[in-house]
Amino acid sequence: MSWNAIDRKTVPAEEMGPGISEATKEKIRSFFPRYPSKQACMLPALHIAQDELGYVSLQAMRDIAQVLELPPAAVMDVVSFYTHFWTHPRGEKMLMLCRSLTCELLGSEKLRARIEEKLGIGDHETTPDGKFSFMTEECLAACDHGPCLMVNEKMHKCVSVEDVDRILDDPASDRLDIPRSDTYDAPPKA
Amino acid sequence: MPKITIDGKTVECRENIPVLRAALEAGFEVPHYCYHPGLSVVASCRLCLMQMKMPHPKTKELDWAPKLFPSCQTPVKDGMEVKFDSQLVHNNTNHVMEYYLINHPLDCPVCDKAGECYLQDYTEDYGPATSRMVEEKNKNPKKDIGSQTLLYQDRCVLCTRCVRFTQEVAGTSELTVINRGNRGEIDVFPGEPLENPLQANVVDICPVGALLDKNFLFQQRVWLLKPTKSVSPADARGSTVYIDVNDDRVWRIRPRFNEKVNEWWISDESRFSWQHVHSPDRLNIPMIREESALRPTRWPVVQEQIRAQLNTVASDGGSRVAIVLSPMMSCEEAWLLASFVRQSAPQATFVIGYVPVEGTDQTFPKGFVISAEKCPNRRGVETVIEQAGGPSASWDEFLTKAGGGEYRFALVTGGYPKAWIDSTLADTLRKIETVVLHDVWASALDDHLWLQLPSATWVEREGSFMNADGLVQPFDRALKPLDGVVGDGQFYYELAGHQGLFRSRKVRELMAAELPTFGEVFVPREEPEYAH
Ligand code: SF4
Ligand code: FES
Ligand code: FES
Repeated sequence: MSWNAIDRKTVPAEEMGPGISEATKEKIRSFFPRYPSKQACMLPALHIAQDELGYVSLQAMRDIAQVLELPPAAVMDVVSFYTHFWTHPRGEKMLMLCRSLTCELLGSEKLRARIEEKLGIGDHETTPDGKFSFMTEECLAACDHGPCLMVNEKMHKCVSVEDVDRILDDPASDRLDIPRSDTYDAPPKA
Repeated sequence: MPKITIDGKTVECRENIPVLRAALEAGFEVPHYCYHPGLSVVASCRLCLMQMKMPHPKTKELDWAPKLFPSCQTPVKDGMEVKFDSQLVHNNTNHVMEYYLINHPLDCPVCDKAGECYLQDYTEDYGPATSRMVEEKNKNPKKDIGSQTLLYQDRCVLCTRCVRFTQEVAGTSELTVINRGNRGEIDVFPGEPLENPLQANVVDICPVGALLDKNFLFQQRVWLLKPTKSVSPADARGSTVYIDVNDDRVWRIRPRFNEKVNEWWISDESRFSWQHVHSPDRLNIPMIREESALRPTRWPVVQEQIRAQLNTVASDGGSRVAIVLSPMMSCEEAWLLASFVRQSAPQATFVIGYVPVEGTDQTFPKGFVISAEKCPNRRGVETVIEQAGGPSASWDEFLTKAGGGEYRFALVTGGYPKAWIDSTLADTLRKIETVVLHDVWASALDDHLWLQLPSATWVEREGSFMNADGLVQPFDRALKPLDGVVGDGQFYYELAGHQGLFRSRKVRELMAAELPTFGEVFVPREEPEYAH
């Protein structure tokens, strides 16, 4: 057993990662009127930051903490609670495979094996060329069409092992008509 | 006062407290981790569950409800009936304990908390003797989270006491829970360590050995330590503490509950205020000037010399005599010295000694205060001086007069945790012909002293301090004085002409005749341990 302790008192500057832009901060602030407190804006703030950077860097957590007037530890608490937020850079396409019961019964394990074999990466990892990241998720809320695989915000249902190859090769596998990230923006004024 | 029935026994309890607290105060043993009376209630550890009588939904008659309730989150209500000693409750405790032990390492032999660990105690009382788990344990890292503390994450039971402490009492929120479920960990934000003036309290309230005090790490097994009830000399608040000693050495200081002053907490200043006690630089031999040098002498000689000298210089009543009473002295010591001097030198000036002040008072969210005045007994010494009557002076007035050559003789007491006489002060005091210094440290004034008397630290003395709010609190002696040193109380006791052993209680009785304030000292109420 090692008695060495990890140093949490200091952090090398390069591990802090990029911060969020002024525009992103402004966007977060625009959400304040909708919530009873600044703290309550935490989740939208994290989504907005992840949309800008692709992940939530330590610096981004600090920036958000500043905007929401919270200790940075409180932001880290939430980020680490949800698997949805990444704390290191993600690939261009994010593959999210459902690992919950229905999909599992309908064969999600085989899909996982195929993805891992084809891309050579495991859960929460990114291919060296930066094209794909992979993670498993709890129920994606489409159990009646399992097994389910999301590519960025696009849901693929009833996916077979053969479909995996096709989806991975298809450059438009994540195309959506209305990106979900728009749905938590204020509705356009009529 | 509400009356409730616990396990068939009716107990009276204080209003508005949780059943858990009432049960513990009444002497019942109820396991608990997350509840702490000084913190908000989260009811997350599930160890304190109890059975409770509720109106039956159909018959409306009172009956035992089928589900268990967290006793830490259920306030007492007159007439309520609860049960801790039942199969249902025991089953819960046993199962919860088994869960806690799934990932806990069996490293008690190298764990500082062993002996006062509530995982050990509860496992012995309620847990399984062997593990049914065949899976590998989660191995969590050890983390260096601040200048005073280490976090051994694999021992943590995630009670979140430490997190709530930093949020609610210190108000600094450095600690938090990261990840989720059985992957949960306590952590700080990288680069934002646990640094606040109350930080080391998290070590006390951690029910297991997860949070550790770096100063105490691997120093002692706790069952070897002998606690002494004392009062912190670190500031004018007078926080009550335990001094833990073994082998003639202090190993740590812990808070002692005090409903009027510090509740369950102490500042780090108080906690680490003992380091100077074992400094190799401390004076330990009384010295007297012979010809041009200070030479060792014996304590009885010192007393004779002071009496004789005082008789000579105070032949006019003592108008050129100054006695500096340090705010580090106990009330008893100050009184003994003052009453002795008043007999032979009614015109001697009593001076309240140097009062170290740093910044301003610091108040924390739940009301904990760290006083800017870094000495324990200014008010007590002032009270004694006032009562003694006759001439008195403030420290500044004394310095001005001393600089102007107005005094021929001065007895100066120190006792501060670090050397305090710098060269400017020494130059001023040099204007006094004959100086006796009763202090812990050598100083720039030594070449001028007539008598240099080593003083004992508060750990080696007994007495009482009056805090900034006028509360008189007694402290006991934890160690015998350093070899060669006579306790300050004993010295002044004999100087004042008393025989035998100095006992602060006896002296307070004498004092009370003139100063009723000292007739009664404040002793805090005994609190249950609350798993720490
Ligand atoms: S470190 Fe100690 S006080 Fe903090 S959550 Fe873990 S067991 Fe509780
Ligand atoms: S179980 Fe996979 S979508 Fe619900
Ligand atoms: S649930 Fe009551 S003490 Fe933890």
